[in-house]
Amino acid sequence: MRTLRFPRSEAPAPGQVRTVESGGRRIGLVWIDDELHGLADACPHRGAPLCTAGMLVHRVESDGVRVVRHEPADRLRCPWHKWDFDVRTGACAEAPRMRVRRYRVWLEDDEIVVSLAPVRD
Amino acid sequence: MPTYPWVHPSGWIRRDTYDAEQVEAGSMFPGFTLEQLRAHVLDPFDVAFALANPDEAACFSVLPNSRLAAGLASAYNDWLVDTWLRREPRLRGAMVVSAQWPEAAAAEIRRMAPTGLFAAVFLPGAARIPYGNPVYDPIWAAATEAGLPVVVHVHYEGVGTSGPLTGAGTPDFYTEFHTLNGASTQGHLVSILCHGVFERHPQAKLILMEGGLVGYVGVLWRLDQNWRSTRSEIPWCRRRPSDYVWDHVRFTTQPLEEPDDETQLAEVLRPLHPERTLVYATDYPHWDFDDPDQTLRTLPADWREPIRFRTAAELFGVPVPAAA
Repeated sequence: MRTLRFPRSEAPAPGQVRTVESGGRRIGLVWIDDELHGLADACPHRGAPLCTAGMLVHRVESDGVRVVRHEPADRLRCPWHKWDFDVRTGACAEAPRMRVRRYRVWLEDDEIVVSLAPVRD
Repeated sequence: MPTYPWVHPSGWIRRDTYDAEQVEAGSMFPGFTLEQLRAHVLDPFDVAFALANPDEAACFSVLPNSRLAAGLASAYNDWLVDTWLRREPRLRGAMVVSAQWPEAAAAEIRRMAPTGLFAAVFLPGAARIPYGNPVYDPIWAAATEAGLPVVVHVHYEGVGTSGPLTGAGTPDFYTEFHTLNGASTQGHLVSILCHGVFERHPQAKLILMEGGLVGYVGVLWRLDQNWRSTRSEIPWCRRRPSDYVWDHVRFTTQPLEEPDDETQLAEVLRPLHPERTLVYATDYPHWDFDDPDQTLRTLPADWREPIRFRTAAELFGVPVPAAA
Protein backbone atom coordinates (compact mmCIF):
# COMPACT_ATOMS: atom_id res chain seq x y z
CA MET A 1 0.00 0.00 0.00
CA ARG A 2 1.47 3.35 -1.03
CA THR A 3 1.43 5.92 1.70
CA LEU A 4 2.61 9.45 2.30
CA ARG A 5 4.01 10.48 5.68
CA PHE A 6 4.05 13.92 7.24
CA PRO A 7 5.22 15.17 10.65
CA ARG A 8 2.52 15.18 13.28
CA SER A 9 3.03 18.92 13.63
CA GLU A 10 1.38 19.29 10.18
CA ALA A 11 -1.97 18.22 11.62
CA PRO A 12 -4.64 20.94 11.71
CA ALA A 13 -6.21 22.18 14.90
CA PRO A 14 -9.76 20.90 15.48
CA GLY A 15 -12.18 22.81 13.30
CA GLN A 16 -9.52 23.82 10.81
CA VAL A 17 -8.27 22.59 7.45
CA ARG A 18 -4.60 22.23 6.69
CA THR A 19 -3.17 21.26 3.33
CA VAL A 20 -0.09 19.06 3.04
CA GLU A 21 1.79 18.44 -0.18
CA SER A 22 4.02 15.66 -1.42
CA GLY A 23 5.04 14.70 -4.95
CA GLY A 24 2.70 17.24 -6.49
CA ARG A 25 -0.26 15.84 -4.57
CA ARG A 26 -2.07 18.27 -2.28
CA ILE A 27 -4.25 16.80 0.44
CA GLY A 28 -6.42 18.68 2.90
CA LEU A 29 -6.51 17.36 6.46
CA VAL A 30 -9.48 18.01 8.72
CA TRP A 31 -10.18 16.99 12.33
CA ILE A 32 -13.84 16.13 12.88
CA ASP A 33 -15.02 14.37 16.04
CA ASP A 34 -11.52 13.20 17.01
CA GLU A 35 -10.97 11.68 13.61
CA LEU A 36 -8.56 12.89 10.97
CA HIS A 37 -9.97 13.06 7.43
CA GLY A 38 -8.15 13.56 4.14
CA LEU A 39 -9.60 15.18 1.00
CA ALA A 40 -8.08 16.05 -2.36
CA ASP A 41 -7.36 19.74 -2.77
CA ALA A 42 -9.41 19.87 -5.96
CA CYS A 43 -13.10 20.53 -6.23
CA PRO A 44 -14.70 17.89 -8.50
CA HIS A 45 -16.93 20.57 -10.02
CA ARG A 46 -14.43 23.02 -11.54
CA GLY A 47 -11.08 22.12 -9.99
CA ALA A 48 -10.86 24.92 -7.40
CA PRO A 49 -8.38 24.57 -4.51
CA LEU A 50 -11.03 23.18 -2.20
CA CYS A 51 -8.86 22.64 0.88
CA THR A 52 -6.26 25.37 0.45
CA ALA A 53 -8.84 28.12 0.11
CA GLY A 54 -12.13 26.54 1.18
CA MET A 55 -13.69 26.98 4.58
CA LEU A 56 -15.38 24.66 7.05
CA VAL A 57 -19.05 25.47 7.53
CA HIS A 58 -21.95 24.02 9.45
CA ARG A 59 -24.71 21.98 7.87
CA VAL A 60 -27.85 24.10 8.04
CA GLU A 61 -31.37 22.73 7.70
CA SER A 62 -34.82 24.23 7.84
CA ASP A 63 -38.31 22.77 8.09
CA GLY A 64 -39.58 25.86 6.31
CA VAL A 65 -39.89 27.90 9.50
CA ARG A 66 -37.04 27.22 11.88
CA VAL A 67 -33.39 27.08 10.91
CA VAL A 68 -31.17 24.52 12.62
CA ARG A 69 -27.39 24.69 12.56
CA HIS A 70 -25.69 21.36 13.14
CA GLU A 71 -22.48 20.88 15.11
CA PRO A 72 -19.66 20.45 14.33
CA ALA A 73 -18.75 22.36 11.17
CA ASP A 74 -18.26 19.34 8.91
CA ARG A 75 -18.87 20.74 5.44
CA LEU A 76 -16.03 22.07 3.33
CA ARG A 77 -17.21 24.99 1.19
CA CYS A 78 -15.53 25.51 -2.18
CA PRO A 79 -13.86 28.92 -2.55
CA TRP A 80 -15.27 29.44 -6.04
CA HIS A 81 -18.83 28.24 -6.58
CA LYS A 82 -19.53 27.68 -2.86
CA TRP A 83 -20.64 24.08 -3.13
CA ASP A 84 -20.45 22.23 0.20
CA PHE A 85 -18.83 18.80 0.59
CA ASP A 86 -19.31 16.46 3.55
CA VAL A 87 -15.85 15.96 5.05
CA ARG A 88 -16.74 12.43 6.17
CA THR A 89 -18.04 11.16 2.82
CA GLY A 90 -16.72 13.63 0.25
CA ALA A 91 -20.24 13.97 -1.13
CA CYS A 92 -21.99 17.15 -2.20
CA ALA A 93 -25.57 17.00 -0.93
CA GLU A 94 -26.84 19.42 -3.57
CA ALA A 95 -25.15 17.61 -6.49
CA PRO A 96 -25.04 13.91 -5.65
CA ARG A 97 -22.87 13.02 -8.65
CA MET A 98 -20.12 15.26 -7.31
CA ARG A 99 -17.82 13.68 -4.78
CA VAL A 100 -14.40 14.91 -3.75
CA ARG A 101 -11.67 12.31 -3.58
CA ARG A 102 -11.03 11.06 -0.03
CA TYR A 103 -7.89 9.61 1.55
CA ARG A 104 -7.67 7.34 4.57
CA VAL A 105 -5.58 9.09 7.18
CA TRP A 106 -4.26 7.95 10.55
CA LEU A 107 -1.63 8.81 13.15
CA GLU A 108 1.36 6.59 13.69
CA ASP A 109 3.82 7.62 16.38
CA ASP A 110 4.87 11.16 15.46
CA GLU A 111 3.63 10.99 11.91
CA ILE A 112 0.48 11.47 9.90
CA VAL A 113 0.05 8.64 7.42
CA VAL A 114 -2.02 9.10 4.27
CA SER A 115 -2.96 6.06 2.21
CA LEU A 116 -3.09 6.60 -1.55
CA ALA A 117 -5.30 3.54 -2.03
CA PRO A 118 -8.81 4.42 -3.21
CA VAL A 119 -11.32 4.76 -0.40
CA ARG A 120 -14.36 2.57 -1.00
CA ASP A 121 -17.58 3.13 0.88
CA MET B 1 -22.43 54.96 -3.69
CA PRO B 2 -25.57 52.93 -4.26
CA THR B 3 -25.11 49.29 -3.45
CA TYR B 4 -26.97 46.02 -3.63
CA PRO B 5 -29.71 45.24 -1.14
CA TRP B 6 -28.82 41.56 -1.65
CA VAL B 7 -25.77 40.05 -0.02
CA HIS B 8 -24.08 36.91 -1.22
CA PRO B 9 -24.35 34.50 1.74
CA SER B 10 -20.71 33.47 1.61
CA GLY B 11 -18.91 36.17 -0.34
CA TRP B 12 -18.84 37.71 -3.83
CA ILE B 13 -15.16 37.10 -4.35
CA ARG B 14 -13.27 33.87 -4.94
CA ARG B 15 -11.86 33.03 -1.52
CA ASP B 16 -8.45 32.06 -2.90
CA THR B 17 -7.89 35.55 -4.33
CA TYR B 18 -7.20 37.18 -0.98
CA ASP B 19 -5.78 36.49 2.43
CA ALA B 20 -8.85 35.93 4.61
CA GLU B 21 -7.04 36.83 7.82
CA GLN B 22 -5.77 40.13 6.44
CA VAL B 23 -9.20 40.98 5.10
CA GLU B 24 -10.84 40.21 8.43
CA ALA B 25 -8.25 42.43 10.12
CA GLY B 26 -9.17 45.21 7.70
CA SER B 27 -5.71 45.52 6.19
CA MET B 28 -6.59 44.21 2.75
CA PHE B 29 -9.45 44.51 0.28
CA PRO B 30 -10.28 41.16 -1.25
CA GLY B 31 -9.36 40.14 -4.72
CA PHE B 32 -7.96 43.06 -6.60
CA THR B 33 -4.24 42.99 -7.26
CA LEU B 34 -2.53 42.73 -10.60
CA GLU B 35 -0.09 40.17 -9.23
CA GLN B 36 -2.95 37.85 -8.27
CA LEU B 37 -4.60 38.31 -11.65
CA ARG B 38 -1.35 37.26 -13.30
CA ALA B 39 -0.91 34.27 -10.99
CA HIS B 40 -4.50 33.05 -11.16
CA VAL B 41 -5.49 33.78 -14.75
CA LEU B 42 -3.07 35.44 -17.16
CA ASP B 43 -0.07 33.12 -16.63
CA PRO B 44 -1.62 29.68 -15.99
CA PHE B 45 -4.08 29.95 -18.87
CA ASP B 46 -1.58 31.55 -21.26
CA VAL B 47 -3.85 34.54 -21.81
CA ALA B 48 -2.71 36.87 -24.60
CA PHE B 49 -5.53 39.40 -24.34
CA ALA B 50 -7.92 40.11 -21.46
CA LEU B 51 -10.59 42.74 -20.95
CA ALA B 52 -10.71 44.34 -17.48
CA ASN B 53 -14.26 45.20 -16.50
CA PRO B 54 -15.19 47.48 -13.61
CA ASP B 55 -16.82 46.22 -10.46
CA GLU B 56 -18.00 48.98 -8.09
CA ALA B 57 -17.40 51.59 -10.81
CA ALA B 58 -20.19 49.94 -12.79
CA CYS B 59 -22.68 51.71 -10.52
CA PHE B 60 -21.78 55.23 -11.66
CA SER B 61 -24.42 55.03 -14.38
CA VAL B 62 -27.20 54.57 -11.83
CA LEU B 63 -26.23 57.51 -9.64
CA PRO B 64 -28.90 60.20 -9.65
CA ASN B 65 -26.24 62.92 -9.99
CA SER B 66 -25.10 62.72 -13.60
CA ARG B 67 -22.30 65.28 -13.15
CA LEU B 68 -20.85 63.31 -10.27
CA ALA B 69 -21.15 60.13 -12.37
CA ALA B 70 -19.26 61.69 -15.28
CA GLY B 71 -16.48 62.89 -12.98
CA LEU B 72 -16.17 59.54 -11.26
CA ALA B 73 -16.08 57.71 -14.60
CA SER B 74 -13.18 59.88 -15.78
CA ALA B 75 -11.33 59.39 -12.51
CA TYR B 76 -11.83 55.62 -12.70
CA ASN B 77 -10.59 55.43 -16.29
CA ASP B 78 -7.47 57.45 -15.41
CA TRP B 79 -6.83 55.20 -12.41
CA LEU B 80 -7.30 52.07 -14.51
CA VAL B 81 -4.77 53.30 -17.05
CA ASP B 82 -2.17 54.18 -14.42
CA THR B 83 -2.66 51.25 -12.06
CA TRP B 84 -3.40 48.35 -14.38
CA LEU B 85 -3.30 48.95 -18.10
CA ARG B 86 0.12 50.57 -18.40
CA ARG B 87 1.59 47.90 -16.15
CA GLU B 88 0.24 44.84 -17.98
CA PRO B 89 0.33 44.74 -21.79
CA ARG B 90 -2.02 41.74 -21.93
CA LEU B 91 -4.80 43.83 -20.39
CA ARG B 92 -7.15 46.26 -22.09
CA GLY B 93 -9.81 48.23 -20.27
CA ALA B 94 -13.55 48.47 -20.58
CA MET B 95 -14.13 52.21 -20.34
CA VAL B 96 -16.67 53.36 -17.75
CA VAL B 97 -18.96 56.17 -18.87
CA SER B 98 -21.96 57.97 -17.43
CA ALA B 99 -24.88 56.40 -19.29
CA GLN B 100 -27.33 58.86 -17.69
CA TRP B 101 -25.50 61.74 -19.45
CA PRO B 102 -24.79 60.44 -22.93
CA GLU B 103 -23.06 63.60 -24.19
CA ALA B 104 -20.55 63.44 -21.33
CA ALA B 105 -20.13 59.73 -21.99
CA ALA B 106 -19.33 60.43 -25.63
CA ALA B 107 -16.79 63.06 -24.60
CA GLU B 108 -15.15 60.54 -22.26
CA ILE B 109 -14.94 57.98 -25.07
CA ARG B 110 -13.23 60.58 -27.28
CA ARG B 111 -10.87 61.52 -24.44
CA MET B 112 -9.74 57.98 -23.59
CA ALA B 113 -9.94 56.06 -26.88
CA PRO B 114 -6.73 57.63 -28.26
CA THR B 115 -4.73 56.03 -25.43
CA GLY B 116 -5.19 52.73 -27.24
CA LEU B 117 -5.54 51.05 -23.86
CA PHE B 118 -9.29 50.50 -23.97
CA ALA B 119 -10.98 47.79 -25.98
CA ALA B 120 -14.61 48.48 -25.15
CA VAL B 121 -17.10 50.94 -23.68
CA PHE B 122 -18.79 49.59 -20.57
CA LEU B 123 -22.46 49.98 -19.66
CA PRO B 124 -24.06 48.18 -16.71
CA GLY B 125 -27.18 46.06 -17.05
CA ALA B 126 -28.85 48.45 -14.61
CA ALA B 127 -30.32 51.44 -16.42
CA ARG B 128 -33.11 53.95 -16.19
CA ILE B 129 -33.94 53.59 -19.90
CA PRO B 130 -32.96 50.61 -22.11
CA TYR B 131 -29.91 51.21 -24.30
CA GLY B 132 -31.67 51.14 -27.64
CA ASN B 133 -33.46 54.44 -26.91
CA PRO B 134 -32.26 57.28 -29.17
CA VAL B 135 -31.20 59.24 -26.09
CA TYR B 136 -28.09 57.03 -26.09
CA ASP B 137 -27.15 57.75 -29.68
CA PRO B 138 -24.16 59.92 -28.67
CA ILE B 139 -22.66 56.89 -26.92
CA TRP B 140 -23.25 54.57 -29.87
CA ALA B 141 -21.87 57.17 -32.26
CA ALA B 142 -18.73 57.84 -30.22
CA ALA B 143 -18.04 54.16 -29.58
CA THR B 144 -18.45 53.34 -33.26
CA GLU B 145 -16.28 56.27 -34.30
CA ALA B 146 -13.58 55.00 -31.92
CA GLY B 147 -13.97 51.45 -33.22
CA LEU B 148 -14.91 50.18 -29.77
CA PRO B 149 -17.64 47.62 -29.07
CA VAL B 150 -20.14 48.42 -26.34
CA VAL B 151 -20.22 45.96 -23.46
CA VAL B 152 -23.44 45.58 -21.52
CA HIS B 153 -22.58 43.57 -18.43
CA VAL B 154 -25.02 42.35 -15.80
CA HIS B 155 -24.50 44.62 -12.80
CA TYR B 156 -26.44 46.71 -10.29
CA GLU B 157 -29.92 45.75 -11.51
CA GLY B 158 -32.56 47.14 -9.19
CA VAL B 159 -30.05 49.53 -7.61
CA GLY B 160 -29.83 53.33 -7.66
CA THR B 161 -31.90 54.97 -10.40
CA SER B 162 -32.30 51.73 -12.37
CA GLY B 163 -35.60 49.99 -12.90
CA PRO B 164 -36.58 46.92 -10.90
CA LEU B 165 -34.81 43.62 -11.54
CA THR B 166 -37.91 42.26 -13.32
CA GLY B 167 -41.57 43.18 -13.60
CA ALA B 168 -42.28 40.82 -10.72
CA GLY B 169 -41.12 43.35 -8.17
CA THR B 170 -38.14 43.36 -5.87
CA PRO B 171 -36.98 39.89 -4.84
CA ASP B 172 -35.93 39.05 -1.29
CA PHE B 173 -32.86 36.91 -1.83
CA TYR B 174 -29.50 37.06 -3.55
CA THR B 175 -30.34 33.68 -5.05
CA GLU B 176 -33.31 35.23 -6.85
CA PHE B 177 -31.26 38.22 -7.98
CA HIS B 178 -28.47 36.10 -9.35
CA THR B 179 -30.90 33.82 -11.16
CA LEU B 180 -32.80 36.68 -12.78
CA ASN B 181 -30.17 39.35 -13.46
CA GLY B 182 -29.84 38.27 -17.10
CA ALA B 183 -33.25 39.87 -17.65
CA SER B 184 -31.44 43.21 -17.91
CA THR B 185 -29.14 42.28 -20.77
CA GLN B 186 -32.01 40.55 -22.56
CA GLY B 187 -34.05 43.74 -22.17
CA HIS B 188 -31.25 45.89 -23.55
CA LEU B 189 -30.76 43.55 -26.50
CA VAL B 190 -34.43 43.69 -27.43
CA SER B 191 -34.43 47.47 -27.06
CA ILE B 192 -31.31 47.85 -29.23
CA LEU B 193 -32.80 45.64 -31.93
CA CYS B 194 -36.25 47.23 -31.87
CA HIS B 195 -34.80 50.75 -32.02
CA GLY B 196 -32.71 49.90 -35.07
CA VAL B 197 -29.40 50.86 -33.44
CA PHE B 198 -27.51 48.73 -35.95
CA GLU B 199 -29.28 50.49 -38.81
CA ARG B 200 -28.26 53.92 -37.50
CA HIS B 201 -24.77 52.71 -36.54
CA PRO B 202 -23.89 49.97 -39.03
CA GLN B 203 -20.40 49.52 -37.60
CA ALA B 204 -21.59 49.18 -33.99
CA LYS B 205 -20.78 46.04 -32.04
CA LEU B 206 -22.40 44.86 -28.83
CA ILE B 207 -21.11 42.35 -26.27
CA LEU B 208 -23.53 40.96 -23.71
CA MET B 209 -21.86 39.64 -20.58
CA GLU B 210 -23.16 37.33 -17.85
CA GLY B 211 -26.64 36.38 -16.84
CA GLY B 212 -26.80 33.09 -18.72
CA LEU B 213 -27.12 32.21 -22.40
CA VAL B 214 -30.09 29.91 -22.77
CA GLY B 215 -32.55 32.75 -22.14
CA TYR B 216 -31.43 34.56 -25.28
CA VAL B 217 -32.57 31.67 -27.44
CA GLY B 218 -36.18 31.98 -26.34
CA VAL B 219 -36.13 35.78 -26.36
CA LEU B 220 -34.85 35.91 -29.94
CA TRP B 221 -37.34 33.30 -31.13
CA ARG B 222 -40.12 35.32 -29.55
CA LEU B 223 -38.83 38.63 -30.87
CA ASP B 224 -38.61 37.33 -34.43
CA GLN B 225 -42.10 35.92 -34.09
CA ASN B 226 -43.50 39.22 -32.80
CA TRP B 227 -41.61 41.25 -35.39
CA ARG B 228 -43.40 39.40 -38.19
CA SER B 229 -46.72 40.57 -36.80
CA THR B 230 -45.88 43.99 -35.36
CA ARG B 231 -43.01 45.30 -37.50
CA SER B 232 -45.16 48.23 -38.67
CA GLU B 233 -44.55 49.69 -35.19
CA ILE B 234 -40.77 49.55 -35.64
CA PRO B 235 -40.13 50.00 -39.39
CA TRP B 236 -36.50 51.04 -38.71
CA CYS B 237 -35.93 47.43 -37.67
CA ARG B 238 -35.80 46.43 -41.32
CA ARG B 239 -34.38 42.95 -41.00
CA ARG B 240 -35.56 40.08 -38.89
CA PRO B 241 -34.21 41.09 -35.44
CA SER B 242 -32.09 38.00 -34.88
CA ASP B 243 -30.31 38.60 -38.21
CA TYR B 244 -28.71 41.71 -36.71
CA VAL B 245 -27.46 39.60 -33.81
CA TRP B 246 -25.25 37.33 -35.88
CA ASP B 247 -23.50 40.35 -37.44
CA HIS B 248 -23.33 42.75 -34.49
CA VAL B 249 -23.71 40.95 -31.16
CA ARG B 250 -21.42 38.65 -29.22
CA PHE B 251 -22.13 36.80 -25.99
CA THR B 252 -19.73 35.65 -23.27
CA THR B 253 -19.61 32.21 -21.72
CA GLN B 254 -19.57 32.79 -18.00
CA PRO B 255 -21.66 31.54 -16.24
CA LEU B 256 -22.67 28.68 -18.50
CA GLU B 257 -25.87 26.97 -17.45
CA GLU B 258 -25.28 23.52 -15.94
CA PRO B 259 -28.14 21.11 -16.73
CA ASP B 260 -28.02 17.68 -15.09
CA ASP B 261 -27.43 16.21 -18.52
CA GLU B 262 -24.50 18.31 -19.79
CA THR B 263 -25.12 17.25 -23.38
CA GLN B 264 -28.38 19.19 -23.38
CA LEU B 265 -26.59 22.53 -23.13
CA ALA B 266 -25.00 22.47 -26.58
CA GLU B 267 -28.27 21.45 -28.19
CA VAL B 268 -30.15 24.29 -26.52
CA LEU B 269 -27.47 26.87 -27.40
CA ARG B 270 -27.08 25.85 -31.04
CA PRO B 271 -29.65 28.44 -32.30
CA LEU B 272 -27.36 31.21 -30.94
CA HIS B 273 -24.65 30.10 -33.40
CA PRO B 274 -22.02 29.86 -30.64
CA GLU B 275 -19.33 29.02 -33.19
CA ARG B 276 -19.47 32.65 -34.32
CA THR B 277 -21.09 34.56 -31.43
CA LEU B 278 -19.63 33.15 -28.21
CA VAL B 279 -16.51 34.43 -26.44
CA TYR B 280 -14.88 32.93 -23.37
CA ALA B 281 -15.06 35.00 -20.14
CA THR B 282 -13.76 34.27 -16.64
CA ASP B 283 -15.62 36.64 -14.31
CA TYR B 284 -12.45 36.56 -12.20
CA PRO B 285 -12.27 37.28 -9.27
CA HIS B 286 -15.96 36.72 -8.63
CA TRP B 287 -17.17 33.60 -6.90
CA ASP B 288 -18.60 31.99 -10.05
CA PHE B 289 -15.34 32.16 -12.02
CA ASP B 290 -15.11 29.67 -14.90
CA ASP B 291 -11.88 27.91 -15.77
CA PRO B 292 -11.36 28.01 -19.58
CA ASP B 293 -10.35 24.38 -19.92
CA GLN B 294 -13.34 23.20 -17.90
CA THR B 295 -15.71 25.49 -19.79
CA LEU B 296 -14.52 24.45 -23.21
CA ARG B 297 -14.62 20.75 -22.36
CA THR B 298 -18.37 20.97 -21.87
CA LEU B 299 -18.91 22.36 -25.39
CA PRO B 300 -18.65 20.72 -28.83
CA ALA B 301 -15.12 20.41 -30.22
CA ASP B 302 -15.78 22.59 -33.27
CA TRP B 303 -16.89 25.49 -31.07
CA ARG B 304 -13.79 25.52 -28.87
CA GLU B 305 -11.27 27.39 -30.97
CA PRO B 306 -13.60 30.29 -31.83
CA ILE B 307 -14.76 30.53 -28.22
CA ARG B 308 -11.26 30.29 -26.79
CA PHE B 309 -9.79 33.10 -28.92
CA ARG B 310 -10.79 33.44 -32.58
CA THR B 311 -14.12 35.27 -32.18
CA ALA B 312 -12.65 37.62 -29.57
CA ALA B 313 -9.62 38.28 -31.76
CA GLU B 314 -11.88 39.30 -34.64
CA LEU B 315 -14.04 41.42 -32.36
CA PHE B 316 -11.18 43.29 -30.72
CA GLY B 317 -8.86 43.34 -33.73
CA VAL B 318 -6.17 41.27 -32.08
CA PRO B 319 -3.76 39.57 -34.52
CA VAL B 320 -3.76 35.79 -34.37
CA PRO B 321 -0.78 33.73 -35.57
CA ALA B 322 -1.71 31.89 -38.75
CA ALA B 323 -0.92 28.52 -37.22
CA ALA B 324 -3.05 29.11 -34.13
